[in-house]
Amino acid sequence: MGAMTVDRADGRSANQLRPLACSRNILHRAHGSARWSQGDTIVLAAVYGPKAGTKKGENPEKASIEVIWKPKTGQIGKLEKEYEMILKRTLQSICLMTIHPNTTTSIIVQVFGDDGALLPCAINASCAALVDAGIPLRHLAVAICCGLTEGGSVILDPTKAEEQKIQAFAYLAFPNSPLSVLPSVPSAEDDGPIENGIITSVTHGVMPVVDYFNCLERGRAACAKISEFHRRSLESQVPGDLTKAT
Amino acid sequence: MEQRLASTSRMTVNERKFVETALASDLRVDGRRPFDYRRLTIKFGRSVPVYGFTASATEDGSSEVQLGQTHVIGFVTSQLVQPYRDRPNEGTLSIFTEFSPMADPSFEAGRPGESAIELGRVVDRGLRESKAVDMESLCVVAGKSVWSIRVDLHILDNGGNLIDAANIAALAALLTFRRPECSLGGENGQDIIVHDPEVMEPLTLIIHHLPIAVTFAFFSEGNIMVIDPTHKEEVVMGGRMTATVNSNGDVCAVQKAGGEGVTPNMIMQCLRIASVKAADITSKIKNAVETYNTERTLRKVKRHSSTVTHQVSVPDVITKDKQAENIIRHQEEMIHHEPDRISNCDDEMTVDTRTCIKTEGNSRDSCTDPFVGGPSNWDPYLNKLSSNLVGKSQDLLGPLTIGKEQQEESKSNKMAVENSPEYATISSNSETLGVSGPRQQTDVAKSLKDAVKSKARKKSKASATTR
Repeated sequence: MGAMTVDRADGRSANQLRPLACSRNILHRAHGSARWSQGDTIVLAAVYGPKAGTKKGENPEKASIEVIWKPKTGQIGKLEKEYEMILKRTLQSICLMTIHPNTTTSIIVQVFGDDGALLPCAINASCAALVDAGIPLRHLAVAICCGLTEGGSVILDPTKAEEQKIQAFAYLAFPNSPLSVLPSVPSAEDDGPIENGIITSVTHGVMPVVDYFNCLERGRAACAKISEFHRRSLESQVPGDLTKAT
Repeated sequence: MEQRLASTSRMTVNERKFVETALASDLRVDGRRPFDYRRLTIKFGRSVPVYGFTASATEDGSSEVQLGQTHVIGFVTSQLVQPYRDRPNEGTLSIFTEFSPMADPSFEAGRPGESAIELGRVVDRGLRESKAVDMESLCVVAGKSVWSIRVDLHILDNGGNLIDAANIAALAALLTFRRPECSLGGENGQDIIVHDPEVMEPLTLIIHHLPIAVTFAFFSEGNIMVIDPTHKEEVVMGGRMTATVNSNGDVCAVQKAGGEGVTPNMIMQCLRIASVKAADITSKIKNAVETYNTERTLRKVKRHSSTVTHQVSVPDVITKDKQAENIIRHQEEMIHHEPDRISNCDDEMTVDTRTCIKTEGNSRDSCTDPFVGGPSNWDPYLNKLSSNLVGKSQDLLGPLTIGKEQQEESKSNKMAVENSPEYATISSNSETLGVSGPRQQTDVAKSLKDAVKSKARKKSKASATTR
């Protein structure tokens, strides 16, 4: 696959992401909150939980996760419901569901701005909010959007205009790479599922299989960078207000 | 299950007694006096770049209001619809309120509860029935097509007194909203052409006056009255009254739905206090809107070159097989949120990004007066905005034309150029500066375009402020 220079409207190269920003502990009532922005796509996620009781259809032997997606304007429609479902399944795979059985953790996502790659931005925001709330997680889910142009080249983090133009794009979420306390101990069991695992993949449009695998590769490398950013942002914040649950 | 979930918001007896006894001695839990408002900050959305005309092309008409711990955002959108039969030459205004479950654990998603509906009605009455927004100017073709304005209010954080905050958010959003210009055309002159905001400047709404809602809470059988109750005071209060008045002293609406009985003297006193507070809040809103409009105009003036990329993102990714010029640069803006900041910084920041980059592309129209100065004593808010923005673009050209005498100095100049002083304090955090240092140095060797890339860091700083 040749290294083609793709002309993107905002001047980025094919491998460049938009500026990332993450701020946590924004809301006062919510147990955890985070605001994640990638360029002009801005999402605010808030977490309440764990609360007692589960909903009717859920298994009371495990914790359950409830996602509420709030669009910027307009009624809640099928697209929002789909995003809620995808986000719920993604977060279910990273939360430790057996620690607090018969509880519900609610994640509320509010869209502030949508300029492409909305679902990855929401996944990243939700993970940051879960960390802010202190919900125990197995690892983080780091998400990115990869687009496929007509020439077969993969562009990362397309804007909304680019998403509408290109032939296909995929939202991918990968697990955060674990940082071992003991640097020299190789964790054999982590090699398989963590190193090569995909948590979520949602594609739009038609793309050949080879190009899909290219997207996965690029996406995984990009997510390594995003997860570094995520880790830095989580580490550098002073532990916030511990008396949130009032 | 709903009862169990909602039980998290009930107050203990001790807390109730504490709030009540404190109020009896004229003390409020957060230290305010009975007739003091909490700190109010109004922010506006930034303009998103338009590469094609979409319905949400710009962020005009979006506001974010923080009243103490209460956080509300408002979005205004417009659409062409058929008018109501009995009002063929008037536009429509509708207000949708969402009590988001993130604001309070007791708010449920789905159908709005009573307080959500009450809030929507109070804001609606204040705006529509007092004829604050001019409806007739929204008419395009009488009987066929008028503009319908929709205001969406999202409550993000319930710190008490949602009505006032939501009202301010709605007003701020309406004041900064612009609807596209449209004209009649087509074969028979009946088709409506909606002009792209890039082509023809969109229009503001005509707003005659600003109805401000002021909420009072009553305690101990109507003897104690406070203004702008917090969430804890709302749980304890016996009754509440909202008076919507404007700065002319007109009472637009009064809402007292049940609760403790209050003497007529008390009501009159409330109305008097409300008109004083309304004047105060009106001036705050107007100042914020004016600053936003000034920046917007300046932004429009500078945005001529569309060939120069308006923003270049910084972080690059190295993939396993690519080695080319991909350099990893990260935006790591760990910026904490500070609710009590006045915030036109957001717009200020992006204004800087665009103007600086555009003037770079336009190259040498503006004279390059090299500005050498430290970031700490340069405050655009003290001086006129326009001169400062021009100054900023000069600053950008300045260090580059002088050449880099010292890495440190040019680096700090760049940081000064791109940041307003509030951010200069953030950027003085050793972490961000330290990390950006080596990056800046690698930038120097490259072309002007790469130097511009560092400006994009502002975008991420613009997302939040320090706590």
